[in-house]
Amino acid sequence: MKHTTLYVVLALAAGLAAGLAAGCRESPSPEEADGPEYAPKRMRILSLAPNVTEILFALGLGSRIVGRSNYCDFPEEAKTIPAVGDTIHLNLEKIVSLEPTVAFVVTKRADVVKTLQSLGIRTVALESDTMNELLKAIETIGHETGRPAPAQTLIDDIQDDLDTVRRRVEGRPRPKVLFAFPMAVGSSNMMVAGRGTFVDELLSVAGGENAFPEAADWPTITPQRVIELAPEVVIVNAVGEDAAPDRVEAIGRAWMNWASIPAVANSRVYILQDEFLTIPGPGVGMAADRLSRVIHRPGPGETDFAEERDRP
Amino acid sequence: MKTRPLTLRRYVLALAGWALLWLAVSAAAVVLGAENIWAWDSWEKTRDVLILRLYTVLTAGVVGASLALAGLALQALLRNPLAEPYVLGVSGGAGLGVILSSLYLTAIAAPVFGFVGALVTVAVVYAVAQRRGRLEPYTLLLTGVIINAFYGAAIMLVTALTSPERRGEIAYWMMGTISTFDPRWSLVAVVGGLALGAAVLFAFLAKGFNLVAVGEDTAGALGVPVERLRLATFVTASLVTGASVALAGPIGFVGLICPHLLRMVLGPDHRRLVPAVACFGASLLVAADLVTRLLEGVGGVAPPVGVLTAMTGGPFFIYLLRTRWRRKTEIR
Repeated sequence: MKHTTLYVVLALAAGLAAGLAAGCRESPSPEEADGPEYAPKRMRILSLAPNVTEILFALGLGSRIVGRSNYCDFPEEAKTIPAVGDTIHLNLEKIVSLEPTVAFVVTKRADVVKTLQSLGIRTVALESDTMNELLKAIETIGHETGRPAPAQTLIDDIQDDLDTVRRRVEGRPRPKVLFAFPMAVGSSNMMVAGRGTFVDELLSVAGGENAFPEAADWPTITPQRVIELAPEVVIVNAVGEDAAPDRVEAIGRAWMNWASIPAVANSRVYILQDEFLTIPGPGVGMAADRLSRVIHRPGPGETDFAEERDRP
Repeated sequence: MKTRPLTLRRYVLALAGWALLWLAVSAAAVVLGAENIWAWDSWEKTRDVLILRLYTVLTAGVVGASLALAGLALQALLRNPLAEPYVLGVSGGAGLGVILSSLYLTAIAAPVFGFVGALVTVAVVYAVAQRRGRLEPYTLLLTGVIINAFYGAAIMLVTALTSPERRGEIAYWMMGTISTFDPRWSLVAVVGGLALGAAVLFAFLAKGFNLVAVGEDTAGALGVPVERLRLATFVTASLVTGASVALAGPIGFVGLICPHLLRMVLGPDHRRLVPAVACFGASLLVAADLVTRLLEGVGGVAPPVGVLTAMTGGPFFIYLLRTRWRRKTEIR
């Protein structure tokens, strides 16, 4: 068949086009400086993580944020900033239109960083899985935005808050505390804070000992494992859809079934609805304070989780 | 259907016409998008977005062409108008291969594992669905259903065992999406090359497809090496399916819609269908992807393109099942 020659020509053309396109892409963007040298006045920030948005607002940079992730909804003003998606899907056209000069992301995905950088946006990847990483992230944000002094003040404030809590619980017995998210509908397994997470550190600051003994991020465990761990205090954080009254009731009922758990037997299962407890941001001092007040209640049997639920 | 004899001149003209359609749709998809980039004050910004769009359009083009060609070839060789990589589980097999490779080995090898997954699936589907060399149409589709269910479970198992962050990524990827994160131009070039190779090969095999469509015995009697034709087709269809799944996830029903629409227009001659299906498949997916980006501009959320094709392709499948296929089986 003669038609094949035509296909071969087309193949070559396609190959050439692809090659050219690939070539175009290789040259790095000239805007890519290696330090924050732009005038802070012109700074336009893209914040792709809720805790970064909170930190930026705490540093007085809220008005400089031009774009945020879909999940950045605190403080209230953040909701008025255009949302551009999340690390699974970003509206890149929207991002380019917002002309950010610097982007902060909390992700281990190199492709997200690479893509934003290829658009000429200085992209800073932060980590905030532990308290140290959080403090380091605040420092980095301060450095990148030309606000090292307010950042240092924020770090000091957080450490003061944590120290205050530490002093208050000093010398008290340290109960075994399990920090869990509610079990998903239709399942009795639940995600708990493993050793090494920043919630684990908060529990320790708040005068408790994490009942989950292994170094792990947020493992999902079975009720059998919970019974085996025998926590003396259980803190369930019911946020988002789980905060609905009927869900909270259902979660409470589910826990009541496991009477062999000391926390259940002594009515020390607390169902909280505090989003800030698990957000590694400026609110960690408040979170430690909150946890310490839950962990160090008057003796067993005197509190019921149903009362606790309505407290601020 | 009455058609004039196929001369080289007509062939080239038709091919040019279909290619022009692809080009026109692609141009529209580069010009339009989520944002009105032409009103922007800085050319650099516009250029950045144009490159992103060009990547998306090329990716959608090569993936669409690959899937449409695979669909056409599988329909011809399995003599089943409802055969299609997604419906038969071939995309699912490729998807499992790609996920396993990117989670436990390396993302670079993903297209290879996609190909292996696709090829194994075609072999299994064929082996299970045939009885003494004869393919029962219903058995074939049911085999596809079961294989899809199996791969679905296997992918869920892998998903359950991985971290929550990866879980979200895998779930999104499984919907079939053309991601502009970390553009992989070289992979697009490879997939494009494979699609082109498949188109050339299928153009050569088109006469064979026509005869096999009449009946494998007839084709054999007329000198078509049926076994070799089958092997070449299955391997090639698996290759392009695996590669396109590695690039864009499992996108369904393109391989079903394109050959059928074109058969309605061009008739059953595979010599005409092969180039047309390649260009039309490419145009269709480019257009579908453009729709997702326009929706993103209007509503703020972009539905994955695979969701769009499945939601239009599903009803189309049922339509075919109820009308055209029944008529065909009644004639037999």
